[in-house]
Amino acid sequence: MNRLQIAALLTRLVDRLRSHGSWCSETHIQKSTYVAQELGGVPLGFNFILYKHGPFSFDLRDEVTSLRADGLLLMEPQAFPYGPKFKATETAHQLQQRYPKTLNTHGAALEFVAQNLADKPVAELERLATALFAKANLPDEVNHKRAQWINAQKPHIATDEAVAALEEVESLEGVFQKSQAI
Amino acid sequence: MLKHLHEIRDPIHIFIRLNTDERTVVDSVPLQRLRHIHQLATTFLVYPAATHRRFEHSLGVMELASRVFDVVTHPYNLHDEIRRLVPEITDQAQLGYWRHCLKMAALCHDIGHLPFSHAAEKELLPEGWDHERITREILDGQQMRSLFNKMTPPLRADDVIKLAVGPKKAKDLSFSDWETVLAEIIVGDAFGVDRMDYLLRDSHHAGVAYGRFDHHRLIDTLRVLPSSPVPDQEADNAAEPASEENVPAPPREPALGVDEGGLHSAEALMLARFFMYSQLYFHPVRRAYDIHLKDFLTAWLEGGRFATEVSNHLETTDNEVMATLSQASRDPERPGHDAARRINSRQHFRVLYQRHPDDVRINPEAGKAVFDAACERFGPERCRRDRYSQRSGAPDFPVQTKDGRIASSLAMSQTLNQLEAVSVDFVFVDPEILVEARNWLELNRSTIITPAEEPQDE
Repeated sequence: MNRLQIAALLTRLVDRLRSHGSWCSETHIQKSTYVAQELGGVPLGFNFILYKHGPFSFDLRDEVTSLRADGLLLMEPQAFPYGPKFKATETAHQLQQRYPKTLNTHGAALEFVAQNLADKPVAELERLATALFAKANLPDEVNHKRAQWINAQKPHIATDEAVAALEEVESLEGVFQKSQAI
Repeated sequence: MLKHLHEIRDPIHIFIRLNTDERTVVDSVPLQRLRHIHQLATTFLVYPAATHRRFEHSLGVMELASRVFDVVTHPYNLHDEIRRLVPEITDQAQLGYWRHCLKMAALCHDIGHLPFSHAAEKELLPEGWDHERITREILDGQQMRSLFNKMTPPLRADDVIKLAVGPKKAKDLSFSDWETVLAEIIVGDAFGVDRMDYLLRDSHHAGVAYGRFDHHRLIDTLRVLPSSPVPDQEADNAAEPASEENVPAPPREPALGVDEGGLHSAEALMLARFFMYSQLYFHPVRRAYDIHLKDFLTAWLEGGRFATEVSNHLETTDNEVMATLSQASRDPERPGHDAARRINSRQHFRVLYQRHPDDVRINPEAGKAVFDAACERFGPERCRRDRYSQRSGAPDFPVQTKDGRIASSLAMSQTLNQLEAVSVDFVFVDPEILVEARNWLELNRSTIITPAEEPQDE
């Protein structure tokens, strides 16, 4: 996937998050992109590590900056004390129009992610994305073991919360797979 | 009586202070090698005095890291939530160890640099390698482990590695919040002392004022703070605007931020970074020389790549490269002759095209479109492209207000909101075809720079 295809997908994700009511800070973009890539199978190619607020990609952060430099994403300053929201620009919408096949192939996954994550509080986004990260990195473990691992990495996520997040991830995976089969 | 505390004179920080243990690391081969690695690659061909080396930068980073550590761990400067989130910051028994560890990590953070620093690092190392990985290899080796182990208290090389490289470049390592904060002191996006030192030092040596900022004031106001608040719902859709009262508390993680009184110094740092990138680091002639250097090295090095074995790495500096380049520039039979000749006789490629906002609106990869067309028209050997976008995010860091609240820097500073992300895209051509190429581009610009097409295979 080339850089402009990735730009079309990321800016579409930002559009869909905003239209479903997400605040769309960098944290929201990071977690949603991770879920789109890992659960939705969108081949964006970003390398995620477990970092602040769960899975985080420095490559994605660099790319968001690059999209700002290219006039495809805009930072909207917010009132005290909050950080900025991100918004796709008119140039980004023109770019999206020129990538219909890319967006047709992966648009449903982006829509699924936006529909299911946009209204989640940041704390819940962190739990869900971290649960997905644990599942991907401990594929042979049972949920209880994965939950213990999550708790060891992020002590503020209790083991029972981690188990609940893992179950919610599995439920989301099931719904997504069914929607793909239709 | 033997002296245990030592000072080294420095034009930026006046004195670099270190103890005898630390001096053994300064005297080690990997550190001494940095005396022969130019900090700014070929920039001295444009700014003649920019001949400073990684060695003095490494000492400067060590000095600043210790100053920042002392400020952010001072009991008067600790935020209540940080005492809870990062208990290590109040553990007086361990703080001495971590201060020492941070200083050594800061001192060693650049020992993996190739000759001429960043010039073409990506293309001249095997896939998956960068200078940070070589730094890790060296720090993990017997020589450095032994030096760290002999210190008082002995340092764990694994801790030094984490702090020197940071989570961005050590994705396989797990970092605690405390280790993340310490690594942020060295290599952090906003207030990493690596960046502070190179901006101050590079501007001093290059003779440009853009890189200066009030680092004394900035360092005095640095704090470890809970990250800026993030609301959970789209405020526009909510009945009331988001506020601390009507949104659930998001998780907070520690980050380097500033007291409100240091916000202007922080703005000055960010502006210095913007100007130094746009005026010095991305100077087109310097970038052209870096491309010629990369071409030379590709032709000269076995397999077109630097060896990654530590012993080979430690034996190769700018001196070896310059000596060979000088010979190659005089002898057409030697590999890399053309690139070497261009560097030594100042026959560097010239700018045919540089990124323009109007072009980017049509096609964000306008430079690539011009480069591809120029290669087709004039031949790839006569054209080069240099594309670089700023890495790192927006300057969003926590600020502690005078009444103790935490806010995003971008909610408090118009200046930071206006700061553009730096991005360059140059197409260079052989000076012999410059006039012809410019005329060609002038005539064909509208048919070359057109909206991007989706690949057919998607």
